[in-house]
Amino acid sequence: MTLKEELENVLAEIKNIGGIEASAIVSRDGLLIASDMKDDVHAETFAAMSAAMLGAAETAVSELRKGLTERVIVESQHGRIIAMGAGPKALLVVMTAPDAGLGLILVGMRKATEKIMELLK
Amino acid sequence: MLKTGIPKLDEMLGGGVPAGKSLLFFTQPGIEGDVFGMQALYNALSSGLRAAYVLTMSPPYEFFESMREFGWEVSGSSKDRLIVVDGYSRLVGMDSEEKYVVDNPYDVNDFDAAVRSVLEEIDALFFSSLSDICDMCGEARTLESVRAWLELAAKKGVPVIANFTAWPYDAEILEGIKDAFDAVVKIAGIAERIIIGQYYSVTKANWVKAEEKALLFKVIRPGGVRAYIPKILVTGPYNAGKSTFVRALSKRSVSVDRLGTTVALDHGYIDHKGIVAEIFGTPGQERFDPLLKWLGGESMGVFLVVDSTDEESFPRAKKMLEMVRVSGLPCVIVANKQDLPGALPPEEIRKRMRLEEDMPIVPAVATEGKGVFEAFEILVERIMGI
Repeated sequence: MTLKEELENVLAEIKNIGGIEASAIVSRDGLLIASDMKDDVHAETFAAMSAAMLGAAETAVSELRKGLTERVIVESQHGRIIAMGAGPKALLVVMTAPDAGLGLILVGMRKATEKIMELLK
Repeated sequence: MLKTGIPKLDEMLGGGVPAGKSLLFFTQPGIEGDVFGMQALYNALSSGLRAAYVLTMSPPYEFFESMREFGWEVSGSSKDRLIVVDGYSRLVGMDSEEKYVVDNPYDVNDFDAAVRSVLEEIDALFFSSLSDICDMCGEARTLESVRAWLELAAKKGVPVIANFTAWPYDAEILEGIKDAFDAVVKIAGIAERIIIGQYYSVTKANWVKAEEKALLFKVIRPGGVRAYIPKILVTGPYNAGKSTFVRALSKRSVSVDRLGTTVALDHGYIDHKGIVAEIFGTPGQERFDPLLKWLGGESMGVFLVVDSTDEESFPRAKKMLEMVRVSGLPCVIVANKQDLPGALPPEEIRKRMRLEEDMPIVPAVATEGKGVFEAFEILVERIMGI
């Protein structure tokens, strides 16, 4: 199995958690590595903006000396975007339905980020 | 000369495939290599050549359907110029309307008869997959026939282009098939650092001195194979026109602008003359410098946009270039706002910024789209080195 397929498997696994509509693994500097998204979304732009979002949040947090950034959660009218670091090289972003329960999703994402970190070592 | 129509490949081959020469697309399993042969076929048909396509991957109607997906409509006169040698239908017991049908696709002699006779009628010969024929007729026997076909085609001056998927056959077969062809283009996956993608490179061509250089590519529908640059950075001082430049260049772009200035990132997607590229535009103001460091990672080239009327911003421009430019990264200076009074000409900017003699400086008016594609083409040439 190629690295890309292994990463895609990680995304397929978290999809089994209810409420996740789309997901992507993005390099810290904004390049799309793997995605599970509908065709009408321009995944590359989404990837770049997610990386910018998490990067800016991390920079803001470290300026305030508040330790490590756990995650960024964006709540919008039709859903949520959650971005989490997955090691020094990548981040994981998912989109959820607006009423999806966060608990299981966050646990699932934590597990996924550990796997991604391991794969991209 | 048979042009492949694959971006940059014809240039690497010194124009294309000469009469009587043969080219093999040697593809790693799991990579989209078939499209290379299809694109070359479509290119040959549209340039008025008569071509034969030995089809072993699918029934003819499915083949035409997948050509259509790429936007390559084969109909009317271009269809008249195409002869499909149907090596599939009989495999599944289907009828075929093609003029050439391989009756028993498990017998290489049947392929042989069809190829020999079709060679009399055409200007170019294509194989959808020689590995398919290997699987059906046996590897050693197929290799022997391929050698004979190439020899005959060479005699008749017919160029041959074939796909081959490098399944784990014996090394003897893999080397033998590569040896049989005049040129070999390797198509494979890449997972270097964190750029995960696909590339092609000319590993052999006996009619031209080809540099072994790997080019990333992307397959788009419609469109086919595009040379791909995953990241080009656009940087420059505050108010130099970076976002305008990104917009002028892109088919589609987004920008995080607040109060008229970029606060996070511009992102654009370019599809120009066979090259697809993603453009990342940085904010210009100093307070965003912490973001620049990681935005710059993995980029393959840099545009530095400067306001030609604002000499005071030049030191800042130079500093930004140093911040994002890893040593040796190709760079083009975009001397923007050339339409405004007091704009300095490129050579004057070079002097005042103390830039190297060979650093390209392109005069531009981004608001009118002037100079932006010239700058892009120069940077692409520097990145791809052809």
